[in-house]
Amino acid sequence: MTEMIKLYDASKCTACRGCQLACKQWNGLKAGQTEHKGTYQNPPTLQHNTYMLIHFQDYVAPEGNVKWLFRKEACMHCTTAACVTVCPSGALYYNKEFGTVGMDREKCIGCKECVSACPFEVPRYDKETEKVSKCDMCETRISNKMNPACVKACPTGALKWVDKEEAMKMAEARVQYLGGDANVYGDKFVGGTHLMYVLPEKADVYDGIHKDPKVPVTISLWKSILKPLSLLGAGGVIGGSILHYFIHGPHKPHPEHYDEPKKQGGA
Amino acid sequence: MKNKMVVVTSGYERFVHWALAISCLTLCYTGLGILFKELNFLGVIFGGLKGLVTVHDFMAVIFAISLVLAIAMWWKEAGIFVFPEDWEWIKAAGGYLWHLDHVPETGKYNPGQKAFFLTVALCGLLMVVTGFFMWYPEKLGGDLMDWVYVLHVLGFVVIFAFFFVHLYLGTIGNPGSVSAMISGKMELPVLRMLHPKWVKEMEHEGKLMIANDKK
Repeated sequence: MTEMIKLYDASKCTACRGCQLACKQWNGLKAGQTEHKGTYQNPPTLQHNTYMLIHFQDYVAPEGNVKWLFRKEACMHCTTAACVTVCPSGALYYNKEFGTVGMDREKCIGCKECVSACPFEVPRYDKETEKVSKCDMCETRISNKMNPACVKACPTGALKWVDKEEAMKMAEARVQYLGGDANVYGDKFVGGTHLMYVLPEKADVYDGIHKDPKVPVTISLWKSILKPLSLLGAGGVIGGSILHYFIHGPHKPHPEHYDEPKKQGGA
Repeated sequence: MKNKMVVVTSGYERFVHWALAISCLTLCYTGLGILFKELNFLGVIFGGLKGLVTVHDFMAVIFAISLVLAIAMWWKEAGIFVFPEDWEWIKAAGGYLWHLDHVPETGKYNPGQKAFFLTVALCGLLMVVTGFFMWYPEKLGGDLMDWVYVLHVLGFVVIFAFFFVHLYLGTIGNPGSVSAMISGKMELPVLRMLHPKWVKEMEHEGKLMIANDKK
């Protein structure tokens, strides 16, 4: 496996949204219901038919300057993906070639467990198809040695599809070059994500970014402990009942419970 | 001679019991198929995994309704412990664990049955509530939903294990008791053994209904 990273350099992004359109086009997604919120950000959030979007944010820096911050939001493709862990149908899976998180919507049963589990709030449920959807890193393209559609469309080089080692080097070099608060986002949690950011500002400055994304501990509680316990518990009861039946025996009425005393041997 | 048969349950009680039992077991079956990837094949008879979910969702409604009816019908008789008599029975483990000549006498339902009723009632309600939010997770948000899944599986662990306790004690563990949920009648001697105080009270009040079919 060659782990591949989609590296998003926010400092090179002009928010042209070519990537957003290319994503819609390649995945055959229609426009979704939207709402004007006073910014160019459209739609305001990810939708079942909007796998990625560019965030627009007016940010007043502590020194008083106003900065226009952009951020690409999409599935982060975690190495330890909560969605894959909870998915009961196998619709969500790890791509063995690249380490990304693929999705087979045919298999999705619409249980929405991934919606709650995802630490980045990415998967979206569609009432009409009763299925969840999310970015699959254009699996049909990457498996055929092409770049994801968003990367292909990016005119400024803000998006790159590169192998992990190279991506890390590029990101570090870019952070060094930018200086200040610039940092890499994505490599430090959930085993490392396969969409990584280079951010010119501190991560917690960005609206809607997840500061400390974690696979919820509750998942291992029910997946690794309670789940096997359900079979062990029932098995224990069945075994116990069988033992009880043969060792203690069933409850049977005593002679005095009968209206006419039965003949007792030796009594 | 044949033992006298006593009417112990009404048709309505049995109807609610079986509605609850069938929906509960179907939910356990479909739930197992959804919970365990290894058991996904259980969905084959419903046309796949999605079919399991559809049946699970439908049966959940039947379960919720019959659970409410069961609680409304039984909570007075089976939902309240009466001390000290129930305590005596608990100390003797109902005569199920070691040999006793005389099991402490309790009312119509013994503390074991009461514990089972309360477990089903409480865990059942837990399943209904958590299940409801699994349909509408956006009502609670991610952090609370994480615990909803834990509680739903926890409720299943308890109900699934208790089901087999119930199955054993209601059939071969207490021969003659299963008819209470089939014909609604039980043999008088079995009843005198399992529910002696109740039989005495009913006889005293003249309410003991002896079935007159002489099969």
